[in-house]
Amino acid sequence: MPSRTGSHSPTGIGKSLPERGLLLLMVLVLLEGSVIPLGAASSPDTGHQKNVDNHKAEGEKNHTKKAFPVLDLDYRHIQTPFEISLWVLLASVMKLGFHMIPRLPGIVPESCLLITVGLLVGGLIKLAGEKVPPVLDSQLFFLCLLPPIILDAGYFLPIRPFMENLGTILMFAVVGTLWNAFFIGGLLYAVCQIQPANPNELHQLEILPCLLFGSIISAVDPVAVLAVFEEIHINELLHILVFGESLLNDAVTVVLYHLFEEYSAAGTVTVLDGFLGIISFLVVSLGGILVGAIYGILAAFTSRFTSHTRVIEPLFVFVYSYMAYLSAEMFHLSGIMALIACGAVMRPYVEANISHKSHTTIKYFLKMWSSVSETLIFIFLGVATVDGPHHWNWTFVTVTVILCLVSRVIGVVGLTCVINKFRIVKLTTKDQFIVAYGGMRGAIAFSLGFLLKKEEFPMREMFLTAIITVIFFTVFVQGMTIKPLVELLAVKKKQEAKRSINEEIHTQFLDHLLTGIEDICGHYGHHHWKDKLNRFNKKYVKKCLIAGERSKEPQLIAFYHKMEMKQAIDLVESGGGVNLPSAVPSTVSMQNIQPKKPPPAKPVEKALPKMTKGREEEIRQILRSNLQKTRQRLRSYNRHTLVADPYEDGFSELLIKKQKMIALEKKIKDMNYYLTVPAAPPDSPTMCRARLASGRGTDFKPAQQQRGNKISPDPQSYSSKPAMDRVPTIQVDLASPQSPDSVNLMDEFRRADQQEEDQGLTMKAPSGQSGFNRPGEADRGREQQKLTRCLSDPGPSADEEEEEEPFLP
Amino acid sequence: MGSKSSSLNKIPNAQELMQETGFSAAHILRLYERFEFLDVDQMGELRPEDFGAIRELSMNPIGDRIISAFFSPGKETVDFASFVRILAHFRSTETNRTRDGAQPEPANSRTRKLKFAFQLYDQDRDGKISREELLQVLRTMMEMQVTEEQLQSIAERAIQEADLDQDDAISFDEFRKSMEKVDIDHKMSIRFLS
Repeated sequence: MPSRTGSHSPTGIGKSLPERGLLLLMVLVLLEGSVIPLGAASSPDTGHQKNVDNHKAEGEKNHTKKAFPVLDLDYRHIQTPFEISLWVLLASVMKLGFHMIPRLPGIVPESCLLITVGLLVGGLIKLAGEKVPPVLDSQLFFLCLLPPIILDAGYFLPIRPFMENLGTILMFAVVGTLWNAFFIGGLLYAVCQIQPANPNELHQLEILPCLLFGSIISAVDPVAVLAVFEEIHINELLHILVFGESLLNDAVTVVLYHLFEEYSAAGTVTVLDGFLGIISFLVVSLGGILVGAIYGILAAFTSRFTSHTRVIEPLFVFVYSYMAYLSAEMFHLSGIMALIACGAVMRPYVEANISHKSHTTIKYFLKMWSSVSETLIFIFLGVATVDGPHHWNWTFVTVTVILCLVSRVIGVVGLTCVINKFRIVKLTTKDQFIVAYGGMRGAIAFSLGFLLKKEEFPMREMFLTAIITVIFFTVFVQGMTIKPLVELLAVKKKQEAKRSINEEIHTQFLDHLLTGIEDICGHYGHHHWKDKLNRFNKKYVKKCLIAGERSKEPQLIAFYHKMEMKQAIDLVESGGGVNLPSAVPSTVSMQNIQPKKPPPAKPVEKALPKMTKGREEEIRQILRSNLQKTRQRLRSYNRHTLVADPYEDGFSELLIKKQKMIALEKKIKDMNYYLTVPAAPPDSPTMCRARLASGRGTDFKPAQQQRGNKISPDPQSYSSKPAMDRVPTIQVDLASPQSPDSVNLMDEFRRADQQEEDQGLTMKAPSGQSGFNRPGEADRGREQQKLTRCLSDPGPSADEEEEEEPFLP
Repeated sequence: MGSKSSSLNKIPNAQELMQETGFSAAHILRLYERFEFLDVDQMGELRPEDFGAIRELSMNPIGDRIISAFFSPGKETVDFASFVRILAHFRSTETNRTRDGAQPEPANSRTRKLKFAFQLYDQDRDGKISREELLQVLRTMMEMQVTEEQLQSIAERAIQEADLDQDDAISFDEFRKSMEKVDIDHKMSIRFLS
């Protein structure tokens, strides 16, 4: 997952004015946050609100006695949203602040800093004499703070490594957590019993509460893992192992927690209960996944119809996922697994259906929410620590901490021995160490402990203290030291994520190869089932869930398309720098973006007003610089449509233009275009006109053909001039978003090895015959350059304006 | 191991095969069983039709290429030894015994695996993957779902990315370089369960 931390501040030691301002702002927010909420009466439902402070009529400070209160202060009215916003603001400003401090983000992970801030804020509140709000109230935590983080994780879960390592992950998650729970719980009980020094309190501790405690504390926490692992950038395998484990152990935790909580009252657990527990585990996990998958499919199906209302597309993703979570929680199934399943299931289909903008929106919203959530969680952890109530018991706490570490190490090592027998790529000792060391506990454990009722569990406070200590230990000590340790042990880091088209092709090829070999060996392995699933997916599922043409699009094309988009976006963003990478004249994207019907004129019109003078100049610069070598004269190009907003739907045209430009540049070098090319059969004017009329407006004739070029009266298209000699002209065809004509393009490339007619940027030299004066167009000097194409068939189009018409069909 | 060694006896050159390919006795045995299963007319050799009888293989887009990879050029049949040698490419690399420098590179080394894959692309064995060969592979993998120019675009791009010496074809070294980020050991190994 991409790091949520911002870039480090470039400033050095001295604090400049903006930073001082920021610091001041932080302090103000802190003060405000702690002092203001004092005024209001506590709201009746503690379940929802964070700050339920008792009142001092704080408002009285600001009252001015007037006959008629022109200005009034009514804090109570807006108290809750105000306080929520204040907390969120505090969290965000803190985040900002940390990255301004030089060097600190490198040493201390963000989670530690945030907990410290939470401690500070809690301390401030306490100092002010107020009751600290129960911020880590379980309702709030599980219903509001946790889902965004998990959804973010699930939606962007790298499916391939996850599935490849699923067996290992499940082993760690299920067996590892069970082992941890029983080991810690059991040994704690034993220690408590034999502890002679404090006979009073520890002896009271029954086995079942101990086991309950063990199950709470044993689960690796996804929030903490994410927060730390994001900063250390280890290789994908380890990341997915630890992270996957933290996600999947939720089911185990849920079952164990409920089991022990239920039966703590009863006092005993029978074999039957144990058996029921196992069944319950299967129900919880599989049920959660099922619920998530159902909602995921619903979301994918809904997204199929959103082509006319693009703006609410992201909403579907969020709402369906949240409902999946809530539905799972309703049945006491594993909400986390539901959320992961929902995100993972819906993603491939939704992404094929939604627009590029929606995709970006979803991505950034998810990142934003999860980032804020995470920050808030850590701050609240700090605040809740200050709050207490604490009951410190040296034995209990230290034994817990030690046992956590020991059991984790034993668990990982033991399981790896078993797992390595089944793995192709074995886990080395270094890997095992990182997995063991990365098992951090976090806020989930705390909230689960918080949920315990005092009446049933008299040792609740002791539990909470111990939990907090373990959390602090793992986050601070392990979190801070893992980075140097990773460096020290030279653990493989995450590799550059850029995948090349070659890798994609060859990976698919190898998949097929291995499937074939497995079939030859008669061995129904990994590849076999994956292949079967892919076939099923392609045949049935994709047809239902993906709108229109995209359903048939093979993965490779989608990937290629994505790559081209990315490259073109970079090109445009960088101002189209001179060193353009060679790219293929790609017409692929055209077909994949638009449905087969003629595209609406809307995207074009939208593009028109956006073109500013400066942009225009920029574009011309680009064109000129890139085509200098070919000595083309910029005769005409459709400046209004050349560079649209790259994120516009009509972006595909831009893509093609750029690529054509580049390819042309390359090809022109090999071309002998001083025209000794034999004439090719002319395009029939009718065909040309037909093409234009159909709204595609590309006039795509190979240069070697004598064109009876039509200047189409159709304002929505533009035609290129017919050429008598075949000169390579670079046609900016900004027009056609989709052209099966592109088919011909390649053929023409092949046929005409001496020239090419590019549909794309049309920089045509001015024709000798018709004086087309493009206002403000590029130089018109060399009229007689062989690059021109003359009208072979003057026809009706002789004095019509041509492709300079700034229209996109 | 008593029964195993006696069954091994019926396999010609079992010991040498084990030595050469690194398969264990159990693996060799299992492969032999599979060989006999495929060899419907009990000739001791496999022909292309025998491979073709495997149903899933016929659905595989590159199934024919895989089958033809088993047959050395010019030969019509494949015997057990060649069968095992080809499959040895797909053994996991971790189980390599340490070898001295004198021994030839084991079949399942990374280079040999890549070479095997390379030869599946390079049908005419000229040591290079030409654009046409790449196009053919893409065509079969895409199974008629894309238009010709899309294929051309992809092939063009792939060659541009990989082709370092600008000869418009991908040599083995360029192939290997483009795959350096891929975990070949993982991607090209199967677990031969015994």
